[in-house]
Amino acid sequence: MTLRITAVGRLRAAALSLVTLVALLVTAAPAAAHNQLIESDPADGASLDEAPQQVTLTFDQPVQRGAGEDVNQVAVTGPDGGSWAKGDVRIDGTSVTAPLHPLGPAGEYVIGFRVLSADGHPVSEELRFTLASHGPGGDSPPGGQTTAPPQAGADDARSGDDGESGGIPVWVWIAAAVVLLGAGVTVALRTGSDRQ
Amino acid sequence: MSRAEATSRPRLETLTGLLAAAVAGALIGFAGAAAGPVRGIAAADEVVSAGIPVTRAVMNVAAVVTVGLALLPVLLGGAREKLTRPVLTAAQPAATAAALLWAAAAGAALVLQAVEYRPAAPDVGGYVGDVAAGKALVLVVVLALGMAGLSVVAALRPDTVPAEVRVGLGLFALLPLPVTGHATGWSLHDYAAISIELHVLAAVTWTGGLAAIAAVVGANRTLLATALPRFSTLATGCLACVAVTGVFNAVVELGGHPELSLPAALFGTAYGVLVLVKVACLAGAAALGAYLRAKLLPRVLRHRRTSLATWAAVELTILGLAFGFAVALGRTPVG
Repeated sequence: MTLRITAVGRLRAAALSLVTLVALLVTAAPAAAHNQLIESDPADGASLDEAPQQVTLTFDQPVQRGAGEDVNQVAVTGPDGGSWAKGDVRIDGTSVTAPLHPLGPAGEYVIGFRVLSADGHPVSEELRFTLASHGPGGDSPPGGQTTAPPQAGADDARSGDDGESGGIPVWVWIAAAVVLLGAGVTVALRTGSDRQ
Repeated sequence: MSRAEATSRPRLETLTGLLAAAVAGALIGFAGAAAGPVRGIAAADEVVSAGIPVTRAVMNVAAVVTVGLALLPVLLGGAREKLTRPVLTAAQPAATAAALLWAAAAGAALVLQAVEYRPAAPDVGGYVGDVAAGKALVLVVVLALGMAGLSVVAALRPDTVPAEVRVGLGLFALLPLPVTGHATGWSLHDYAAISIELHVLAAVTWTGGLAAIAAVVGANRTLLATALPRFSTLATGCLACVAVTGVFNAVVELGGHPELSLPAALFGTAYGVLVLVKVACLAGAAALGAYLRAKLLPRVLRHRRTSLATWAAVELTILGLAFGFAVALGRTPVG
């Protein structure tokens, strides 16, 4: 028995390749890039003497409005964990503007945002700026918002920069993965060998 | 149990290594490379964040098995129908189950991703409307259910559905998702999209073919001698395609960040490390494949006893890890 390729086989292979090629061309077209932040005001890492009244983020492509109200979010967290963004985010083409309450305490503020890319992929990032001297506002934001939105409350312990995936330490996931892998391979190899 | 029954029943246990490795790879990738939460923006529960890579890994393995089982009649060829028919009939329930699992996992991934998208007020409809990945997952659910339907029809009336149609639909169902992963901001991204589609098609064809051969015809030396040489040729082509497209996509993705030199991007970012790990998986699987082809294939052709099942299980495990890391890679930003 050798590798004899029949005419029918060749025809079938050709038909299969054609189907695949057509499928590829039909579906591969609508790929687009994610939005990238090209400019922000205040800029990342800036040190400001005067408190900004709003945060403006500019992207390389238009930002989608999305169906829900909170699809595009900009949060500004103060040095004491206060939330200083007013909440109503304005979208104008490629830029997103979030008005702020009058800032108070001097120190580092974190701008966190998540916007919907033109290609339908959410993009999120953190930027930081420092307020050099006490601003016109009080020590805490009006309305006493001292924490981030409710779901993020449990996440305050994470610094966000250390690459850890949160409350459960990394080694737990790795250990679970190794145990799972060992069990799977053992079962596969045992059944593979005893039925030769 | 008669000998014919014993050799025609598929040995699905052979695939546990593949499934476990894919889930393990996805978990390791998640633990090592998950994007941290953004301050002030509501983040989803940890169960959701870990559940997404796990369901995506299960979905990919189900897709691999579905496509592989659809490919099997093509690998066995039309000849020797008396021998192939009982084997293929016995594998039908597994093919249907794999397609249903594919659809279910895609549905679960859709729900979890919708929750991750808006943790405060999850809304699957809104997610599908807004986000490309949502639309792609809906399409995958529909196409995978179509595969399950075709599989049932093929089981009831074996001659009505040509094998090529099932392979074609199975491969088609792989296409919607990859383009919604990463895409870079520079001019090569159209080519990158086609390249990543080819990467997925080749990887699934290779892994699926191996899985189907190991699970279904591994114990039948006559059929193995028919299917393995054909698969070997197919796998070599797929391997070359996976390597070329994978390297191209990594270069496009990493090259899109001019502030990082290539070594810095490869060794200094989670994305780069995942790329290196996948290259290592590919090299391992290629070495095993070469061994299979050089040492075992001649013995298989002479209908001799071989340790093929063991070697195939090891290769499937390595490929499973690569699939798991691929899930993590698609969700990891560069830099």
